[in-house]
Amino acid sequence: MQESDLIVRRIKDGTVIDHIDQGRGLRVLEALEIDGREGNVITIALNVPSGKSKKKDIIKVENRYLEDDDTNKLAVIAPNSTVNIIKNYKLVEKRRVSLPNEIERIFRCSNPDCVTNSSEHIESTMDVIDKSGLVLKCRYCSRILDVNKLKYY
Amino acid sequence: MIQSMNEFFQKDIISVRDFDKQKLESIFDATNKIIKLKPNDRREIGRGKTLGYLFYEPSTRTRLSFEAAIASIGGTSIGISNISSSSTQKGESLADTVRIMSIYSDVLVLRHPLDGSSRFAAEISEKSVINGGSGTEEHPTQAIQDLFTIKKEKNKIDGLKIGIVGDLKYGRTVYSLLSALSYYDVDVHLISPESLKIRTDSTYEIKKRFSFTESTDLEEYIDDLDVVYVTRIQKERFPDEEEYIKVKGSYVIGLDITKKMKDDAIILHPLPRLDEISAEVDNTKQAKYFKQAEYGMYTRAALLGLILNEKGF
Ligand SMILES: [Zn+2]
Repeated sequence: MQESDLIVRRIKDGTVIDHIDQGRGLRVLEALEIDGREGNVITIALNVPSGKSKKKDIIKVENRYLEDDDTNKLAVIAPNSTVNIIKNYKLVEKRRVSLPNEIERIFRCSNPDCVTNSSEHIESTMDVIDKSGLVLKCRYCSRILDVNKLKYY
Repeated sequence: MIQSMNEFFQKDIISVRDFDKQKLESIFDATNKIIKLKPNDRREIGRGKTLGYLFYEPSTRTRLSFEAAIASIGGTSIGISNISSSSTQKGESLADTVRIMSIYSDVLVLRHPLDGSSRFAAEISEKSVINGGSGTEEHPTQAIQDLFTIKKEKNKIDGLKIGIVGDLKYGRTVYSLLSALSYYDVDVHLISPESLKIRTDSTYEIKKRFSFTESTDLEEYIDDLDVVYVTRIQKERFPDEEEYIKVKGSYVIGLDITKKMKDDAIILHPLPRLDEISAEVDNTKQAKYFKQAEYGMYTRAALLGLILNEKGF
């Protein structure tokens, strides 16, 4: 049994987001709008030892199964995380998050003069122009966006 | 012989980033053809076609250039200029205005203060959309005009040393010009006040294709440049007037500067100018900005001709 399993209890149904880059756990909660209001049990573990001299964050959300949109958000915020879907104590699906070629309507463009931030009915689309370096570009105003400063819809 | 379909037919012109050298060169070829055609033959190219323009910012110059261009190829233009923000608050969205205008016209030109506005309009419009200037982002037809001018006046683009002077942060023409130049083998020097340096979040992809130097000193390279491209430095970009006056003075092209330039160098400006080029420079042989304005009409006429005719002209 791994050390992390000792810290966070097993869940019956829900999602375990593991290997979240250390320090990103709270941002993941914010991005996925996990705030506990649904009444589900949510377990958050920060700075969990993971391998030699490494640390990670873990989030377990009971009775909620993460969807693809959520996985896309994770790909930007915590690119090393894994999504484990648990049903009846069994791991039924394990997903590595991966950056899509484009990201739609998750983040707002950080350029205030971008048409996607106007009153027009339009949602942002960002092209991932460098997956390894995590470089996003707004498809409309073509600005390069700072991933750490992006705001969610 | 049947001519093959031209690649601009019914296409949008949104950003120079969507271009490459071959595309630019084919517009230049078409422009040379336009210039050579007799007025009567020229008027066949766009006969019966309507250009619709929507100008959400005042820009007499760009609008006139498009109107002259469509008229020169035998078409007509309709449109609205000075669509104020107050009337759009009460009235229609950009999307609806574009939809309506695309019913009345064969090709649209949009000038709008928001970045990305043209790409959005192109998604909505049934007809081709030409970006006539979007926010501080892009002004692709200006860049086409600029490069054509360089090519005509210097007989080449590759191998030239080009200085771009002035407000490089907010000047949309600069971003389009840099994108266009990045398809060529040129040396580019950017010269601007520290506070008006080019935005790095808009040059990421340009920098992958070529490199340029940046400095604040106009005179550093002046004797070595083949092209000096001057842009306006606008007062409203500065927090206080004193700073503006100080900065403005160091980027004025006067006879003292032109004397230091090569004899066969050329001075360009997207116009309208304020006092960044002294009037006395107009009579020097290096001054080519009025010629540039004339070429602008031809390049736009060529572009319209290509968009409107399946087999070119
Ligand atoms: Zn944007």
